[in-house]
Amino acid sequence: MRIFDPHIHMTSRTTNDYEALYASGVRALVEPAFWSGQPRTNVGSFIDYFDSLLGWERFRAAQFGIRHHATIALNPKESNDPRCVPVLDEIPRYLVKEGVVAIGEIGYDSITPAEDEAFSRQLELAREYSLPAMVHTPHREKLTGTRRTLDVVRESGVVPGMVVVDHLNETNVEMVKDAGAWMGFSIYPDTKMDEHRMVAILRSYGTERVLVNSAADWGRSDPLKTLSTANAMLAAGFTTDDVDKVLWRNPVEFYGQSGQLILDPIPGFDAAEPPDAAAGFEGNSVLRGARV
Amino acid sequence: MTVTTSASASVMPFSLGYGTNGFADHPLPVVLELLAEQGYDAVALTLGHPHLDPFAEDLDAQLLSLRGLLDELGLRVVIETGTRFLLDPRHKHRPALVDEEAAARVAFLRRAVDIAATLQAECVSFFSGVLPADTTPEAGWQRLTSRVVDIVEYARGKNVLVAIEPEPGMLVETVSDVLRLRAELGDPDNLRVTVDIGHCVVVEPAGVRGALLQAGPLLANVQLDDMRPHIHEHLPFGEGTVDLPLALATLAELGYRGVAAVELPRHSHDAPGLAARSIDALRAGWEASGTMRESERWLRESTAAVVADPGTLNRIFATAGRRVGRSPLRPDADPTGVLFGTISDNARGKLVGRLGELLPPDELAEALLTLYNGGDSAERRGVLKGLGALATSSPKLPVVVVSAGLRLTAEALRTSESGIVAAAVGPFAAAYLDQHNWRHAVLKLVFMDISVSAVTDLRERADDELARMAGDFASERSAAGRSIPDDVHLLLRSSSSYSTPS
Repeated sequence: MRIFDPHIHMTSRTTNDYEALYASGVRALVEPAFWSGQPRTNVGSFIDYFDSLLGWERFRAAQFGIRHHATIALNPKESNDPRCVPVLDEIPRYLVKEGVVAIGEIGYDSITPAEDEAFSRQLELAREYSLPAMVHTPHREKLTGTRRTLDVVRESGVVPGMVVVDHLNETNVEMVKDAGAWMGFSIYPDTKMDEHRMVAILRSYGTERVLVNSAADWGRSDPLKTLSTANAMLAAGFTTDDVDKVLWRNPVEFYGQSGQLILDPIPGFDAAEPPDAAAGFEGNSVLRGARV
Repeated sequence: MTVTTSASASVMPFSLGYGTNGFADHPLPVVLELLAEQGYDAVALTLGHPHLDPFAEDLDAQLLSLRGLLDELGLRVVIETGTRFLLDPRHKHRPALVDEEAAARVAFLRRAVDIAATLQAECVSFFSGVLPADTTPEAGWQRLTSRVVDIVEYARGKNVLVAIEPEPGMLVETVSDVLRLRAELGDPDNLRVTVDIGHCVVVEPAGVRGALLQAGPLLANVQLDDMRPHIHEHLPFGEGTVDLPLALATLAELGYRGVAAVELPRHSHDAPGLAARSIDALRAGWEASGTMRESERWLRESTAAVVADPGTLNRIFATAGRRVGRSPLRPDADPTGVLFGTISDNARGKLVGRLGELLPPDELAEALLTLYNGGDSAERRGVLKGLGALATSSPKLPVVVVSAGLRLTAEALRTSESGIVAAAVGPFAAAYLDQHNWRHAVLKLVFMDISVSAVTDLRERADDELARMAGDFASERSAAGRSIPDDVHLLLRSSSSYSTPS
């Protein structure tokens, strides 16, 4: 099985996690720039963080056979601190760097005018640099935040297919699907979304434009939630091809729109195999009826 | 998704051939059929035994049928005249054009011109000969020029190009010698140059690229083979040190449209296999040269763009990998690209080297700092490679550039990224880094399991203190029950007498 985690904060994880990810079939991932837990108080703090995403973290991932990509942005929470906002002037130079596959995480946290301003400016940058946008939806007021997010995207003129709206759940998935944007789901141990609810959503809404991620960070989270979702899909009767679509081909298609994905295996490491159509789950075929 | 580079496959502008002297155990028509079957577009036909006797009574009939076969198979032809015992069964290549008596050689070369005219061959290639023991170079040169005048005149009358091939050990040994000869004869238009790329690693001061560029538009014939420095022995590709992709890229850059034929006259016992492996090696070399040609193109365009608008530099530098590719520069020796860098590291380094010629010192120093500080890891490696290029091209860099370079080198050596550390111990560090920090850099490589082959001038700068540090490191490893890297033994042995204390 090959897995692409489209949203994981490896800066906050250990080398044990890298080893476990590789062993689980993860060969590529995207690390979005986000809040670091401790509020930043100046632009330089962002610069060092962005540089480490494109430098040290990419190097670290490569040591474990994983292609590391990043998204760069001023995150919604910190766009409320005027000491941080000037980082917006530094972001364009990062958008031309190798392996920067989107602008993000952008969107809303507390839905303030400052967040509106940063969100709009960064959607403009996405358009100018022909990059996808990776949009976070708020923890509180998720439904209102999602609705407003979709309105702002519509007004920005960014093509919906170039936008992923992340951290969705049962209440807001439909409006994102209807808007034509990509649907991101973060599978967490006990908040946001779990594997079984995810499988139910896939049953209801299909596998088109769906991204599943672990969003693992410094909080309680599990970098192998992508794998456990894959296994839950197989156990529920989805085919290996469905799993490959959701956990590899979909993120490749979405972030591939940047022209910045690098997916050939790192020298010295193996590529993960695409699914063998003849193989079943743990030797037991879950296929029903004729293959199409 | 961008997995491939934009260096797309293209068609070789020249024709690949194979020399019949490498097929001494096959009849000529069979040789031609085999070559066409394997994908060759040309043949380098050596006159004489066993394929075509230039003095045969039925020569005209033989040439007629040969021309028919070449047409049928779509092969171009060049005439080679290096048959070993054609004119004197006892003495190889005698008589030569530098001998006292050379009438037989001149008559043979005139006959070769006749044959070339009949076959509509691309050219007749010939060499000067080894100076006889009792002859001074001046006397040999005198003999050679008078005879070449004769051959050139004769060939002009037949509308045939003649190309003189420099040979190791012969009076005309390098392309420079050919150009001198040609100049003395008043630069006759139909006197051209043959270059054997293997010979270049033996005798050409500027190597294969330098020799080909020097021959330039006068190049009329190319021989392809591998060779090791100092040993004039024609080897199959991959067994010597010839940079085949570079040679092919240079031919393409020159717009060479003639024949380039494999020259392996001592391998007839395995001729069909070798011809097949050779064309595979040439195709692989051409593919690799595509990357090289794309890098050169990027460099030219980027330099021009930066000259026109310096504001474009940062973006050009950031996007280099997408244009030229990111695979290791020397995949055989360094599959991860850590030691010698990647193709894009190399291209960026060369661009920085060019900036050294374009920008005044203050602006150059500023550009180095901006590119490094604003760069991702690959760009930073490129800046470090560029410092190496600057240090290599100038014996003494301006103080402000050295100061910026030292600051960046120190910063790079503080990182734990293997590729960045390896890029920081190149020619710039060799020339300017103080001895204390240089020793620490070398030990850091060993500590990080990076081969010290990344270090420029290791032997020259290694000293007793470095050996002491390596010894202590070895003791620490032994105490921990861990193995001692081979490089540590190398450092223990390599202490020399570098004079700067500190």
